[in-house]
Amino acid sequence: MATTIPTVEYRTTERVAARPRLLPGQTVVKWITTTDHKIIGNLYFIAAFTWFLIGGIMALLIRSELAAPGLQIVDSPEQYNQLFTMHGTIMLLLFATPLFAGFANALMPLQIGAPDVAFPRLNMFAFWLYLFGGIIAAAGFLTPQGAASFGWFAYAPLSNSTYSPGVGGDLWVFGLALSGFGTILGAVNFITTIICMRAPGMTMFRMPIFTWTILITSILVLIAFPILAAALFGLGADRRFGAHLFDAESGGVLLWQHLFWFFGHPEVYIIALPFFGIISEVLPVFSRKPIFGYKTLVFATIAIAALSVSVWAHHMYATGQVLLPFFAIMTMLIAVPTGVKFFNWIGTMWGGSITFDTPIIWAIGFIVTFLFGGLTGVILSSPALDFHLSDTYFVVAHFHYTVFGTVVFAMFSGFYFWWPKFTGRMLDEKLGKIHFWMLFVGFHTTFLIQHLLGIEGMTRRYADYLPSEGFQTANVISTVGAFLLGASTLPFLYNVWKTWRYAPLVETDDPWGYGGSLEWATSCPPPRHNFDSIPRIRSERPAFDLHHPEAAPPDGPQPDPGTLINVMGSADLGDMTKHGDPGTGSSR
Amino acid sequence: MTWKVPLLRKHDTSVRRRRGWTILGVMVACSLFLSGCAGNGTASSGWLPQGANGGQVTNNTGRVTSLWIGTWIAALSVGLIVWGLTIWVMVRFRRKKDDIGLPPQLRYNVPIEMLYTIVPVFMVAVLFYYTARDESALLDNSATPDVTVNVVAKQWSWDFNYVTANTYSSGVHTELDPKTGNPLNAMPVLYLPEGKRVQFVLNARDVIHSFWVPAFLQKLDMIPGRTNKFQVVPMEQGTYQGKCAELCGAYHSQMLFTVKVVSPAEYENQMQQLRTLGQTGQLPNTLNRSPLLPADLSSVPTPGSN
Repeated sequence: MATTIPTVEYRTTERVAARPRLLPGQTVVKWITTTDHKIIGNLYFIAAFTWFLIGGIMALLIRSELAAPGLQIVDSPEQYNQLFTMHGTIMLLLFATPLFAGFANALMPLQIGAPDVAFPRLNMFAFWLYLFGGIIAAAGFLTPQGAASFGWFAYAPLSNSTYSPGVGGDLWVFGLALSGFGTILGAVNFITTIICMRAPGMTMFRMPIFTWTILITSILVLIAFPILAAALFGLGADRRFGAHLFDAESGGVLLWQHLFWFFGHPEVYIIALPFFGIISEVLPVFSRKPIFGYKTLVFATIAIAALSVSVWAHHMYATGQVLLPFFAIMTMLIAVPTGVKFFNWIGTMWGGSITFDTPIIWAIGFIVTFLFGGLTGVILSSPALDFHLSDTYFVVAHFHYTVFGTVVFAMFSGFYFWWPKFTGRMLDEKLGKIHFWMLFVGFHTTFLIQHLLGIEGMTRRYADYLPSEGFQTANVISTVGAFLLGASTLPFLYNVWKTWRYAPLVETDDPWGYGGSLEWATSCPPPRHNFDSIPRIRSERPAFDLHHPEAAPPDGPQPDPGTLINVMGSADLGDMTKHGDPGTGSSR
Repeated sequence: MTWKVPLLRKHDTSVRRRRGWTILGVMVACSLFLSGCAGNGTASSGWLPQGANGGQVTNNTGRVTSLWIGTWIAALSVGLIVWGLTIWVMVRFRRKKDDIGLPPQLRYNVPIEMLYTIVPVFMVAVLFYYTARDESALLDNSATPDVTVNVVAKQWSWDFNYVTANTYSSGVHTELDPKTGNPLNAMPVLYLPEGKRVQFVLNARDVIHSFWVPAFLQKLDMIPGRTNKFQVVPMEQGTYQGKCAELCGAYHSQMLFTVKVVSPAEYENQMQQLRTLGQTGQLPNTLNRSPLLPADLSSVPTPGSN
């Protein structure tokens, strides 16, 4: 009777809230057979981050080698060439580009109120193409002659089988072609999803900026990646089947450069625009304001994408074979829409009420870092200056400020911001701030000084430099910074492990409190098909309108008082007195 | 569109303003420290390589240096404005402990957005004007050169065909000591007469290379099948490092040479020495591993011409 203890008393609130944990084996089967965009997003994150770590270790080897004249780390300059070739390939094509697909998968369907992407199986297929393509491309390290060593842009004729024999180069060519198809199919999927699967009320101009950047980026992928695939198959045919597409005597040397950079320059915007989108999502939430100049930001994104397909030959100024003024002016013009974005980001914070949680610290770190990369980009856009700077460490420093500044800073901003949405748990704020400051100081110590090395004449892709050139001090500073930068990953990995084991589950839809886009109007993590109910979408911030109704736009239709209404009178909406608006109701 | 929302209370910000100045001071100190690490150059040349006495190495270096410094002043001014605004908003619009509610929900401001779209267009136009002016001067080959040198790159060294003198010298790869990084054999030497207009005619025997003397502040690729040209007037006697700037295979980092700018008399002396060594005539383009395109073949100068 009274001594019987009901079993329910043993259940703590924590155990009620916890979802049943799957056994590890069950999770593996569930994940590799899934078609859920959220899990595919996680698979992309895990694969891309693993490549990031591998590429990072290569970077540390490269920096160690350059710490002193002579060869201390690598056995031969050829090994050094393999390291920087694969470092570039991995970071651009196996880390940054799939990371775009990861964020797009994880968030875009949520942001437009869709239950999944348009083609869930194609989505998973695209991931497998990327994963196995990437493994094939990097598998050259397991072959006797080593991995590809002709630089990540594989200039002909150095990349043909005469000058670079060995199966590592073949694996690189065909692996990247395969992986590129994954990117193309992913882009098809994202475009179709955004065009066809928006929730009722989600008009194009109410889509979050991040979703806009995914749309524009996917269009750029469809322009750029087929060119890469064609060029790679051509190079593969030259290498394996005796074709002569890129032979010098038929002018194929420059043909390769044109094809490669027609892919290569849009590619750097493919890995920049989505990350600009992440910044545009983070800043409003922690400033407690809407994004400033929403439409200008959308048009700036479109303008950057349009210009980015007309500037490819600025990588070829020093060839002496391109029309310099055209490519110079187009390149300089890209600074204009990019500058617009900067002012919109600052305008978003201006007049706000900013709290410095980890995501916005990363976003501001991005602004500070990427700005300098943008300024050196304008300097490099001038052929008269590029003749000196091209192929030096100035260029290396420039593109690390832009690409690392964008991809890595915005990736961590997005990770800290959306981690509760991905996993149901918050990352630790204190560890996040330690992570940020280690990475920020490490990054700038590594790369700021490289500008100086380049100006003074240190060539990129040199395994060695002469003791008499006086480059060693700067190189040692850079290497020390690189190790601090590498070590900054440890607090992050510890953070992931610690919060996975010990952090409480997030119980609310929006743990940050001021989220705007639709992903903050569903649980953390969302259910299998994302939403149990969708709030009314009346602006580009439906979740904010739901959670802060006092600041939401007024209900009901909002006619634009344009010429038509001035001439014809306002629309007849029936009995206006009922809506408390007796002044304008026309009598019949 | 603005809606009535509970406005944020604002408080005294003078303390935070002082912190902003501290941050700014630290940043300026850091940049001064980093610039103090500079080795060869000085602030007056924007840390670009200079001649021994701070003079101009070629007739083009002054042009490049002034464009470089002017562009940096413009770029850093823009940078300081944007960094300043970023730090300002961080300090000024920080949420205080006793702040409640939401700030005004400002969505856009068309005049200011137009301003920051249009002003940069004009800045770009100015930069483009100076760039176009200088780049066409750097690549202007219309003057008749006093001396023509056909530089031919090969994995991993350099052949110098002195076209006007009808002599040649052929280099071998500069092996670097793997322990110390010091060269184990002498680098090939390119002699140039001071004060004479030199035309470089650039070819490659195998893969793409790039002809770069950092002190000249100018490089140009050497592309198999193609011919590239540029002209300089060396202005200051001295020895300068030259290197290949385009990845060309395993020993790319050891494809080095030395440029010696000497008096015209000494230059003639060196040409005579090459003749004494029997190195008269030119190393022909038939040594190339792939033939030149017909149009580019005809732009390779005939020996003895200038």
